[in-house]
Amino acid sequence: MKVVECKNLTKQYGRVKAVNDLTFTLAENKITGLVGRNGAGKTTLLKMIAGYLHHNSGNIQVFSENPFNNLKVSANTIFIDNSMSFSPALTLGQLLETAGEFYVNWDKNLANRLFKYFSLNPDQSHVNLSKGNKSTFNMIIGLAAHCPLTIFDEPTSGMDAGTRKDFYRALLKDYIAHPRTIILSSHLLEEIEDILEDILLIKNGEKLLHISVAELKEYAIGITGKTDRINQWLSNRERIFTHEIGNDDSYVVIKNECSSSELEEAREIGMRISQVSTEDICMHLTSKSKGGIDHVFSRG
Amino acid sequence: MWYVGGDVRLILNSDSMKPIYVQIAEWLETEILIQAIQCDEKIYSQYQLAEMFNINPATAAKGINILAEENVLYKKRGLGMFVATDARHIILNKRKNTKLRAMVNELAKEAVQLQVNEEELVEMIRGMHQKLKGDQK
Repeated sequence: MKVVECKNLTKQYGRVKAVNDLTFTLAENKITGLVGRNGAGKTTLLKMIAGYLHHNSGNIQVFSENPFNNLKVSANTIFIDNSMSFSPALTLGQLLETAGEFYVNWDKNLANRLFKYFSLNPDQSHVNLSKGNKSTFNMIIGLAAHCPLTIFDEPTSGMDAGTRKDFYRALLKDYIAHPRTIILSSHLLEEIEDILEDILLIKNGEKLLHISVAELKEYAIGITGKTDRINQWLSNRERIFTHEIGNDDSYVVIKNECSSSELEEAREIGMRISQVSTEDICMHLTSKSKGGIDHVFSRG
Repeated sequence: MWYVGGDVRLILNSDSMKPIYVQIAEWLETEILIQAIQCDEKIYSQYQLAEMFNINPATAAKGINILAEENVLYKKRGLGMFVATDARHIILNKRKNTKLRAMVNELAKEAVQLQVNEEELVEMIRGMHQKLKGDQK
């Protein structure tokens, strides 16, 4: 079953297209990572899926319905980000109690156990929490709600390394026990890639890739060696990234489409082949310009 | 690097050239080779593996599927995956024919590059092999 289905989805803020002609579907009970640079359109997309924002053109279906102002989508979806606001009149303990009223699958036991584990104070109010603890509290709500569509937008911002690790493990364990469709946006791909099944990579509101993590891991290879030899060997193969090292060495990232005999040949003429991390692949694919930050300085 | 549960066991190497699902398959192979899991015994489910290694269950399933395709595991409907009777034999053969052969290939290449002749190379291997066998006794 398709939980989310977008066709040529476009959202404009004034003249700027935040989401541009996006087409993809998310199957039921998968964990998908939404990855992209700052301002790529991740949050706008997630808010449209959650039914918070109208789209301008194209089509979006969540649980086979238009999500905007939709009761079915609202009841089955939770959207967690760091700008969630809760009533200042209630304490954290009361908020946790109240949250249960809104979600049919609410796991009270899990909520209380996580709350205790992360040493949150039930008498404190949400506005007075530190950034990290706010994220932690929101994350508890997001997990315990057990919504068929669970969306986390940058859930770990402000969390320390230990809490982030605990959160990802909690998410995975709870997902195994209660499979559901999860979308997770994050800058820290390396941290989340092992628990993801698929990755949706966007740039300037457009889709660059929507593949499994396993495929992404083998998407590209890095080649290091003498620049002239690399150029010769590559001929007109498309480069994802080029970095010059010193005067005559280069590191080039290309798509992993070479046969093993071609790679063997490359090794024999002294080039080194290396794996490219998913984080680097995404960074290269979404880089602002082909030359990278060095170009800004070299051209003054 | 990953740790499993609370006790620190370095098993999966996230920097390795090998995809995680291949590492899962190899880990299971080793469990079978050292007879931590016996023939006709049920193997870990994709969910157990996912939890043990902190990975997506789909990745774990992919590792299990590799072994099913190679007939190391067989499926019992509704019960899960079990270790085949000749699983160890299949794994040993595979490792001999692929992994060991590739290593020998590397070794021979390095020897040629260092101008180590055949006799010298064979002698080195023989010495090391005898030493290891002696250590095992």
